[in-house]
Amino acid sequence: MVSFAGLTFIFRFLPIFLIIYYVVPSRYKDMVLLFGSYIFYAVGDPYFIVLLIFLTLLNYFVGKKMKGLAEGFEIHDWQKIKQKKLLIAIVAMDICVLVLFKGLSTFVDNSLLPLGISFYLFKMISYQADLYRGEIWEKPDFKETALYFSLFPQVVSGPIMRYNEGECGEKRSYSPEQFEDGLKYFAAGLGMKVLLADKLAILWNDLQMIGFRSISTPLAWLGAAGYSLQLYFDFWGYSLMSSGLLVMLGFDFIENFHHPYASRSIGEFYRRWHMTLGSFFRDYVYIPMGGSRCRRSRLVFNLAVVWVLTGIWHGNGFNFVLWGLILGILIILEKLFYGKKLSSIPVLGNLYVLLLIPLSWVVFAITDLKQLGIYFGRLFPFIGGAGVAVNAQDIVKYLQDYGIFFAAGILLCIPAVFDFLEKHRKNPLVILLLFIVFWCCVYFLSCSEGNPFMYLKF
Amino acid sequence: MKFIKQSPLFLLLLVSGFLLTLIAIVGKDNIYDEQEYDPLKAPLLSVVFTGINENLYPWQLLQSKEETEVMAEIESGAEDESNEPAAGSPEVTKAEPSPEASLKPSAAPSSSPAAVPTNAPDPTPVPYGEERPAPLRESTEEEYLNHISADIYGDVGILKAATYDFVTVDESYFDDALFIGDSRTVGLRDYTDLSEHADFYCETSLTIYKVMEENFKGLGTIEEALGAKDYGKIYIMVGINELGRGTTEDFMAKYTEVVDRLHELEPEAKIIIQGIMRVSGEKSESDAIFNNSNINARNRAIATLADNETIFYIDVNEVVCDEEGNLNGDYTFDQIHLLGVYDDLWKQFLLSHGIE
Repeated sequence: MVSFAGLTFIFRFLPIFLIIYYVVPSRYKDMVLLFGSYIFYAVGDPYFIVLLIFLTLLNYFVGKKMKGLAEGFEIHDWQKIKQKKLLIAIVAMDICVLVLFKGLSTFVDNSLLPLGISFYLFKMISYQADLYRGEIWEKPDFKETALYFSLFPQVVSGPIMRYNEGECGEKRSYSPEQFEDGLKYFAAGLGMKVLLADKLAILWNDLQMIGFRSISTPLAWLGAAGYSLQLYFDFWGYSLMSSGLLVMLGFDFIENFHHPYASRSIGEFYRRWHMTLGSFFRDYVYIPMGGSRCRRSRLVFNLAVVWVLTGIWHGNGFNFVLWGLILGILIILEKLFYGKKLSSIPVLGNLYVLLLIPLSWVVFAITDLKQLGIYFGRLFPFIGGAGVAVNAQDIVKYLQDYGIFFAAGILLCIPAVFDFLEKHRKNPLVILLLFIVFWCCVYFLSCSEGNPFMYLKF
Repeated sequence: MKFIKQSPLFLLLLVSGFLLTLIAIVGKDNIYDEQEYDPLKAPLLSVVFTGINENLYPWQLLQSKEETEVMAEIESGAEDESNEPAAGSPEVTKAEPSPEASLKPSAAPSSSPAAVPTNAPDPTPVPYGEERPAPLRESTEEEYLNHISADIYGDVGILKAATYDFVTVDESYFDDALFIGDSRTVGLRDYTDLSEHADFYCETSLTIYKVMEENFKGLGTIEEALGAKDYGKIYIMVGINELGRGTTEDFMAKYTEVVDRLHELEPEAKIIIQGIMRVSGEKSESDAIFNNSNINARNRAIATLADNETIFYIDVNEVVCDEEGNLNGDYTFDQIHLLGVYDDLWKQFLLSHGIE
């Protein structure tokens, strides 16, 4: 049920929840949302909900204490020191919990990774830092805090919203128009996930099935492009569904992707890709370390730290560290040398991004370093990656099978296309399009969920 | 009225959702009576969509149920008798409502199970299709409900097939060969050079139920292929996709029908039944349907069709499996398909299993 792109969520949890949510008066809406979120979480992870509640209590009480120290007209030094000590203690504890469970899941058993822990712990850290900095004005209320940490549209995979970005139940705005907008974002995201990402995922699976040694160089490039689109529509689709749900509940839209593939530098790409994670690292790691207003060597160090952390956060394999390092190096090079120049030349910057980002995703995708080497050998056969039993015609077959998904995907990567649809979202044709997309998704979900034999096709 | 203007998509989805549910309610005991859904996990309207996937369209509610079933069978080629587990003898092959139906004897009850007499002249001393072993027992309802393919034939077919002395041949042997199969055969076509010699009619997700009706991309149907060229050998490997469907009897009945039909269309050709390739141990142990016990049971059934005169049975599992009889984990990524590099093992196996 924890997947928004599932019949159980769309036809069971969501309608029941929405009816209750909209029937109760505004002042009880937060209570309904909190309980709904805990039910949602418990269905996905019945054991670790205890951990979520425990961490919520702990972070709430420490946060309250810290906030309490900052009350009064004049804040003394001892208050500041005590505040800082509390902040360091709670953030260190949150990080330790994250590291502990990541370690357990890597070295002991995969099932020991609590659902959404990477996301809700980042929210907790952000909450503490914002309290410390005085960015949260009002005294935190337990219900609001618990809700912020466990909000069901975000608890599993983000976006990592800030505490200040959400209003409490009575202050939110509820209108049929807003509900409709949210529904449209949800349907669009669902379509991206089910009709594009899930289809393109089969291509990547096919390449693994064939074995990287036996794919032709053009197919290796098509695979890299396909994986880049798959990952994008999977996560952008999810983020649109998540933010669409929030809008349906009366919150503001949280943007997590802003046409990353139209960027002209890697740095820009990551300001547009998974934006809430990027801004988390910027606000809570990079800037506190001195950001870019410091010596060059320090700047390089700061960026390296941020990107190694980003790599580690994404997964357990060494390839993720490698992925983070490569991006970090590219971003450092851009910052120190050619970034400004690149951004000023339109086509060159775009090509640079469209060449390097798919290659970086290959490093992200292949956890086995030996296989990674083989894949790069196929991408660049002149550096000594001879294939075995390669079918030179394979690209024709895969272009025939997946051409339509690439065409649709590339179209949606063009900012003007999505922006046009978004702007004209009240147009009957756009509504009709979303209507068709929604029921097409339900068709595919019905055929794959209801009957496992239909989905497994060999 | 204001609401229609403010939330058109919401209203459209709501109304269409109700309509689809209504169709599902009306059709539940009619055209959708075989569509399964779990009320806790999915909405009732999902049966409308799973129905569409099986060529059952809502407007067919207006027709009678029998008509609809015939329509669906014609379109999908699905003659699914799986709602009658272990029902009776497996000899019945439904009369096909196709133009060729007149060529076939009608489904008259026969005393020898699984035997469909054909009018085609047969030069072999043992008349084609006779002396096929009968099943030792019937599948039970429990086996059917749990998707267990019952081993109802034992090893009699495998043992008989193994008595044939296969010879080693070179690649030109496959110049008059036709390969029919699912995605595994697609791998054989794409990752060996056999396709330079043989013709391949293969498609991902192909099943024995669809094999004769399938319109292979850019090639046409099997019947058209056999009409256009004289093949000396017809290789077939299907069966993994339909493991979750019906009983061993259902599968065997359809397989027999297909093999007999191939023989009728190309009487001079040798038909080489290839045992279904097994899955890896990892897959086999974790999957209630796609496991090697089910595959072996069905292989033992289809092996009994081999008469070592016209029909032969070979089993590539001999060269791609480990000591435990599972597909070698090193040869596969997804636990089901051979990696491209290892399709050569299959090719070499075929080269060493020629028929004189």
